[in-house]
Amino acid sequence: MDSKKNAGNSVFIISLLLTLIFIVWGVFFTDNLTKVTDIIYNGSIDYLGWVYLGATLFFVIFSIYLLFSKYGDIRLGKKTDRPDFNTASWLAMLFGAGMGIGIVYWSVAEPVTHYTTPPYGEGYTVDAANTAMKYTFFHWGLDPWAIYTIIGLALAFFQYNKRLPAAISSAFHPLLGDRIYGPIGKTIDILSIFATVFGIATSLGLGAMQVTAGMHEIFGVPNELFVQLIVIAVATVLFIISINTGLEKGIQYLSNAAMILSFAIMVMILIVGPTMTIIKVFFNTTGLYISDFIHMSLRLRPFGEGEWIASWTLFYWAWWIAWAPFVGMFIARVSKGRTVREFVIGVLIVPTLGTCLWMSIFGGSALEIVQNTGSHDLAKNITENVSLAIFTFFDYLPLSSVLSILGFAVVAIYYITVADTATFVLGMLSEGGTLNPSNKIKMTWGVIQSALAAVLLLAGGLNVLQTASIAAALPFAIIMIIMCFSLVKGLRSEIEVQKGNKRSAYHS
Amino acid sequence: MKLYQVRKGQFVYYNNELHKVYGVKPMYKLSVHLIKMRDLTQHITNAASVEKYKPKEYDSFIFNHKAYTLRKDRKAEAGDYILINNPMQDSLDTYSLNEIDLVESADNKGVITSNSHGVKHNEYLLMVPGRAPDSNSIDRKDMANDDDESVNDSGTLGQTTSGPLPSLGDIYKRTGNDSIVEAMVVAIKDQTVYLGGGLEVPQDELMNSKTWEFLYNLLDR
Repeated sequence: MDSKKNAGNSVFIISLLLTLIFIVWGVFFTDNLTKVTDIIYNGSIDYLGWVYLGATLFFVIFSIYLLFSKYGDIRLGKKTDRPDFNTASWLAMLFGAGMGIGIVYWSVAEPVTHYTTPPYGEGYTVDAANTAMKYTFFHWGLDPWAIYTIIGLALAFFQYNKRLPAAISSAFHPLLGDRIYGPIGKTIDILSIFATVFGIATSLGLGAMQVTAGMHEIFGVPNELFVQLIVIAVATVLFIISINTGLEKGIQYLSNAAMILSFAIMVMILIVGPTMTIIKVFFNTTGLYISDFIHMSLRLRPFGEGEWIASWTLFYWAWWIAWAPFVGMFIARVSKGRTVREFVIGVLIVPTLGTCLWMSIFGGSALEIVQNTGSHDLAKNITENVSLAIFTFFDYLPLSSVLSILGFAVVAIYYITVADTATFVLGMLSEGGTLNPSNKIKMTWGVIQSALAAVLLLAGGLNVLQTASIAAALPFAIIMIIMCFSLVKGLRSEIEVQKGNKRSAYHS
Repeated sequence: MKLYQVRKGQFVYYNNELHKVYGVKPMYKLSVHLIKMRDLTQHITNAASVEKYKPKEYDSFIFNHKAYTLRKDRKAEAGDYILINNPMQDSLDTYSLNEIDLVESADNKGVITSNSHGVKHNEYLLMVPGRAPDSNSIDRKDMANDDDESVNDSGTLGQTTSGPLPSLGDIYKRTGNDSIVEAMVVAIKDQTVYLGGGLEVPQDELMNSKTWEFLYNLLDR
């Protein structure tokens, strides 16, 4: 028992130190940090691109395999367990956790940016619009959800069926045995925490930019770095109060409210926006996405500049992977009592359809508006002020002020819920997978994640956020590949256990 | 006008017996789904016919045919049952008010239940098996009142009929006496109840919780 306790502490201290070093570096040697992240960014295009592409495609194939495999009937939890949540609210929660801030931030900005500077072909054309939607589906479709499926399934399976602690290292029990409590397990946990902190900081950074943009749109607050830092500081104070006063229940209500509000916005835009175009976009792009999936998944530019791929595809894959321990932990918590097959359908297939629908509604309407204006100004404006994109888009729709306020509310709520939940997940991960992380550790992570988000914004905004996640997620991408094999081994042993049970039940 | 605020997890009295609300479906006429604590049977009713009760320390009740007393004088250990009466969930927790869980492991920060819930020590009351002598039985609403007013001795007819009458197959245990007697109702004739083992007890004596305690009905199992 004592050794396990120490394991928890050393994981906490080392990962905290690593993150602190990075923060100090960012605060006192900002130029140096920017330079180094630039080098990593360029290096990632040449050296790491194929790792991310290969790994992510493998995750998609592996999760589809799980869907049809003989492991599909294994129930996460005891055989008699039944789901805690009904299917509709379960799906809503998965969707909210997996996409959250990002989907609001990018749903207008990404298609329009691709439209102006497509991965291939000429900008501002009908072809460019279709390609833009296709790549948006690609970046938000099966791939992120496959990553979440694997990590969520691994966490849930080893936590509920094998009764191991809720830590990433537990997923390696079939390969490492009790060494998961030793140095190897600790290293895995430290790397996963490191990736998670960066994934969360990236989301918080984007969130702070988005909240500031919303305040700029509605209240006329200046859209500047200084305000973004104030937003981060205020949010930090708010969730630290919530940790200490047991307002966590309120956070759950808030997150439900955010989901209902975002659904309301989606339906409103579907109705007041160009409805027929949206439906056409959804069908057409789904076809394009399915038929070009392999090509997009493996697309690199061996004889040309890989800039576009690095700043979009690679960034997304890295961000999803860095974000995965956080989302995976959440998905595991709400999925107890589901079978593996239900789990894969619920986490891979349904949310993919959901994001594609969301992207068609936002991206499709935005592209329609951009094309209808007849000039390039609007598209350029959106591309240059990415964090303002969604509010600029709302201005061109009926009921724009209602939409802006709703949009701002959703972003602000997502920000605070993500920050709050993240402290809990980081607390769990860094205390050896305990379900009761102490408030002190949760508060420490709360301050650290906010500080990191602030430092990344200080060091150069969006680009640095992207680069930092690409670099931090790489070790964890490798860990996730190994995790797939470990998971299969664990599932196989579970099938044998269940067979054994059946036989003995017959005889007794 | 009386405003009803029924929530999932609340302990309520329905037909004078202790139930737990396990679901509220607001759009329906019969919107309150209940589970009877004594035998875990399901019932459905509306908000007007239930009355809320907030369990507290030293309350005792029968849960799934076994009597428990709520205590908080020690921390739960592995194998104990807990009643989560003060849930302060973290943002990822999935348990709710008044959930009853089996403790799987415990440390100084909290317990982990067999349902993989992480619960801190200030969130629950321990369910100690058996009825402690200083406990306050909350199984039936009226019976508890009777105890307080100590009017049982008068033994009036109106009073005994206010609670549920003994029926065939009920198993009773004699309390307040050193020798352990558990017996089943085998026959009822007017005001006299015949228990197994040749015991004849007047009905109002059997209904007095100070002398006899109802455990469960054979048919409930």
